[in-house]
Amino acid sequence: MPDSDRPAFAIRKTRTRFLGLTMDECIQAFFGGNALVAVLVLGLITVFLFREGSGFFKQNQSNIEVYRTAGLEYVDHLKRQEADHTALTRYLFDLRVRVFKHHTEVEGATLGEANQQLIAFDDYSYDFGDTVEPLREAVYDLSESVTATKTRMLVNEDRLVERQQLRDAGAVEAAEAVVIEEIDLVAARQPLLAFRPVYGQINGQFAASLLSVLAAEAPAMPTAELEARFTRFHELVEQYIDGFPTVEAALNTWDPNEPIPTWKSWTSFITGERWLTASFWQDWYGVLPLLTGSLMVSMVALIIAVPLGVGAAIYVNQLASVREQNIIKPCIEFISAIPSVVLGFFGIAVLGQAIRIISQWDWLSWVPGFPVVERLNALTAGVLLALIAVPTIFTLAEDALQNVPRAFKEASFALGATKLQTIIRIVIPAALSGIISAVLLGLGRVVGETMVVLLCAGNRIAIPDFTTGIAAFTQPVHTMTGIIAQEMGEVVQGGIHYRALFVVGIVLFFIALFINFMAQKIVQRYRISIG
Amino acid sequence: MSAHTLMEITPTTFAPPIADKPAQADSEVHQTLIDIANLDFFYGETKALHDISLKIPEKEVTAFIGPSGCGKSTLLRCLNRMNDLIDIARVDRGTIRIRDIDIYQPDVDVIELRKRVGMVFQKSNPFPKSIYENITYGLRLQGVSAKSRLDEVVERSLRGAALWDEVKDRLHESGLSLSGGQQQRLCIARAIAVEPEIILMDEPCSALDPIATARVEELIHELKSKYTIVIVTHNMQQAARCSDRTAFFYLGRLVEYADTQTIFMKPSDAQTEAYVSGRFG
Amino acid sequence: MKSTERHIYSLRPSFHRRVEGAVVWVLRIATLIILVAGLAVFGDIIFKGSRTVFQTSFPFVNVAFLTEAPKTLYVFEHEGASFEMADDDFRAFRTGLEEEAAAAGLPAPQLKTKSYVYSAGGVFPNIVGTILLVMGSMTIALSLGVASAIYLNEYAKQGPVVRFIRLAILNLAGVPSIVFGLFGFGMFVIYFGWNVSLLAGWFTLAFMVLPVVITASEEALKAVPKGFREGSLALGATKWQTIRKAVLPYATPGILTSSILGIARVAGETAPIMFTAAYVVRDKLPWEVERAIDFLFQGVMALPYHIYVVSSKIPQNEYSERVQYGTAFVFLGIVAIIATTSIVLRNRLRSRYRW
Repeated sequence: MPDSDRPAFAIRKTRTRFLGLTMDECIQAFFGGNALVAVLVLGLITVFLFREGSGFFKQNQSNIEVYRTAGLEYVDHLKRQEADHTALTRYLFDLRVRVFKHHTEVEGATLGEANQQLIAFDDYSYDFGDTVEPLREAVYDLSESVTATKTRMLVNEDRLVERQQLRDAGAVEAAEAVVIEEIDLVAARQPLLAFRPVYGQINGQFAASLLSVLAAEAPAMPTAELEARFTRFHELVEQYIDGFPTVEAALNTWDPNEPIPTWKSWTSFITGERWLTASFWQDWYGVLPLLTGSLMVSMVALIIAVPLGVGAAIYVNQLASVREQNIIKPCIEFISAIPSVVLGFFGIAVLGQAIRIISQWDWLSWVPGFPVVERLNALTAGVLLALIAVPTIFTLAEDALQNVPRAFKEASFALGATKLQTIIRIVIPAALSGIISAVLLGLGRVVGETMVVLLCAGNRIAIPDFTTGIAAFTQPVHTMTGIIAQEMGEVVQGGIHYRALFVVGIVLFFIALFINFMAQKIVQRYRISIG
Repeated sequence: MSAHTLMEITPTTFAPPIADKPAQADSEVHQTLIDIANLDFFYGETKALHDISLKIPEKEVTAFIGPSGCGKSTLLRCLNRMNDLIDIARVDRGTIRIRDIDIYQPDVDVIELRKRVGMVFQKSNPFPKSIYENITYGLRLQGVSAKSRLDEVVERSLRGAALWDEVKDRLHESGLSLSGGQQQRLCIARAIAVEPEIILMDEPCSALDPIATARVEELIHELKSKYTIVIVTHNMQQAARCSDRTAFFYLGRLVEYADTQTIFMKPSDAQTEAYVSGRFG
Repeated sequence: MKSTERHIYSLRPSFHRRVEGAVVWVLRIATLIILVAGLAVFGDIIFKGSRTVFQTSFPFVNVAFLTEAPKTLYVFEHEGASFEMADDDFRAFRTGLEEEAAAAGLPAPQLKTKSYVYSAGGVFPNIVGTILLVMGSMTIALSLGVASAIYLNEYAKQGPVVRFIRLAILNLAGVPSIVFGLFGFGMFVIYFGWNVSLLAGWFTLAFMVLPVVITASEEALKAVPKGFREGSLALGATKWQTIRKAVLPYATPGILTSSILGIARVAGETAPIMFTAAYVVRDKLPWEVERAIDFLFQGVMALPYHIYVVSSKIPQNEYSERVQYGTAFVFLGIVAIIATTSIVLRNRLRSRYRW
């Protein structure tokens, strides 16, 4: 249509176009693209975590394979037997400390006298300690041999990788020049297989010498309580001896060529109780101690933070005067701005010591786990994490309470309800899902928090001893976030340890997503119920 | 009797002991239940009510009318001290006596007061609980938990609020599942379940359609025999239809208070006449 | 005075009333505990940290602590007096002694020294590093975040895509900071080959704080009344003109103030920069680079990471305590200033921008 013919009322779209879009549509596309960044980042996080972590399970499988093929598994049966004996020796030592204490504190003997009285006991425990020597020597020799085999296998693996890298880089000749040593596994295993009959002898002697120690004249115990402990020791030794045939059977049925199933690599990660890295013997990547640590620390934090945070939210929102509100709210906002590393530092510098001193007060000795042994432990970290969770829980719970329609409250008051009755019967039920999701988001913050636990949780990679009950919370733990922060800087890129840390990251990522998801679900439901 | 004459008689401050009151009450046709005298009321610095004095008789329907912002709702909320919930609100001068007890004295328990002075709000506000729980809420607060007693009260209140037949089969559904008019009647049922003496209604029909409104008005008429009702409305027809006495407020002042008949037929004040005849408001 | 007669509305002392009073007190105490705990942390660090950062004589501020790099502290005794010196001073002192001794023809004196790493000097490079990290990452986060918010609030129509974007934002906000660190390490440091660098730190931190910025910006945009937009559109402005002329000017203060909280978060995080941008120690200051492009690809020292290092990697003693508390004080001070600015500004704006 020629220009001159255009009607005066020109309202058709005739603007300049770019790639078929009007100017405004281009701008819209630009902004839309930016909005997609959030989606993109979330996707990239997933991709990169999996990219770096995915190789772990395959590597872990070969890690376990080497463990079996090189014969470490075989020797571990013996080592466990040896370790159990050491535990019994420790039991004896503990008993000696008790007897010693009895002599000095109850009977008022001097140190020299007490030691004099314990000579018979010491002889007895030396005899007991000596029984393990033949086994210990055998374990030592075998360990040497299998470690050597393992080292050779690992060197070969490294060379294979090197060759592959050279080949990828195009240096075929250099790749061919990389020597891969043939390992005669059968020969390497010879000492292990040859040990089987020897072990039968050693074991028999071991059991006999243990029995002879038991049969020997027992040192006299000063009190009935200590006597009972000594009897208990006898029982434990007998149980120990009863276990010998099992070890022997395990050795005899050990098959170095039995393939490792794929799921083993997964279960050894998910249910593995050991996270042991850079060890000269065998590395284990079990997430359980870390997960336990994270959960324990979070539990402590929530037990403290939920009553405080929700209580304060109720107080500020429902009961406090406007002036109090105007003071308290910014203060809590301020607390939320304290960087976690500063809190962690505070834990190291002040709180850990303070908790230890408090735990030594006599009138608090009934608290399980008090007095605490370690300054930095799950409790210390949990208390500090509570301070991180409180602002989150407070702010969100306060929001939820604020969103309860005023009309509900008014109706309740008009029916003659007191403030407390209104809060308990109307306000809290109406805000409950909001409060729960606040608690969940607080949990999310706590689980994902790194610096405080890295600095204050004590960083001992072991599942705490739950037989002590609640006192387990006063033991040092390590956490998933802490382990990543601590070890990431020191690992070889692409190595199994490196990948294991990424897998821990994946676990953490999905725990966080799950918590977030639950919180959102609950809030959505709440919106519907309010109408 | 007009409000102006009353104002002269009632002492302004330091309400003396109740001794000289009965003589005055005898002069009323109906027993005076609520006696408001020289009330000044502030929201922060803003004076919302100026020197209000009026007497509300027992077992009648009294309507407060007036344009938006005239203070009628504020006055209503003074009667069960709902204004206490607003931090900046305060009664500055004057007294409100219910059965000769000054409800703003410090020894008055607001909770006890509100149990006896029920309230129905402009927007129906059932709790997000079942119908049954809504009605028994007030009783449970007082510690009543016997099932038989609660059942009885639920039925009586729902019948009283003319809602029984509609909801008797779904007492345990959420109160929010009812229609707007039903919700409002549920709120009335909830209010009468605690057996108050007085029911305050703050524009109870403003959010309802004409049919639901008619039902609520009918209900007000029935409730009159048992309760004293004070209703705030800006619907003049409603005031004319269901109230016995009407008070007209303008800019925080009581302009005229008389029999509904008088207010609508021959108001003594020019502003009242202008308002009821629809010339402003 | 005789109490007034009992009547039906009388206050009655009752069990319930006492319970109610007790509950209010319990809740009040819960609130107090939180405030006291916060105060304890602040108080301890301010009290002990101010000893490092302030001094009793002119200029009252410990200038060296704020302008020097961390140094090793040497403590030794010489001729009956005890000395504490930073490593460069110590070396000069020792050389002086040796020359003196050589001139006098005596053997060089043996100094018995104890050295404490990081315990002398100051935290200047760390302050610089933190500021650089914050500025860079906030620039990235603000440009991405504001653009996203404009799209979500002004352009987007309710639909599956927008729901998905919002879901992603919500979930991104819940991702632990250490996971962002891992991601930044995997993507920027290794995959893009940027090594430990400012650039990697910027992007990691920017992505971490993105949800905060988007949410804050959206709120600020929502606060602009609809009438402004409709008025502008009705005058024949295009959508973009409307946003630029009638929405953004009024939303900008809100966007900036709310984003300051994001700044506090960026400045305070340690975990994401541990493997992406932070060095334990670096001799050069960030601007001492040969080529301009190197500026982006250098790691920096940062305050939070320094606190981590000095509080966990070196032995605890009186000398290290000095630098620990000093660093924490400076860091907390910076974060507190940012947070206060944000809270004050927001309260101001809330009262000023009431349409």
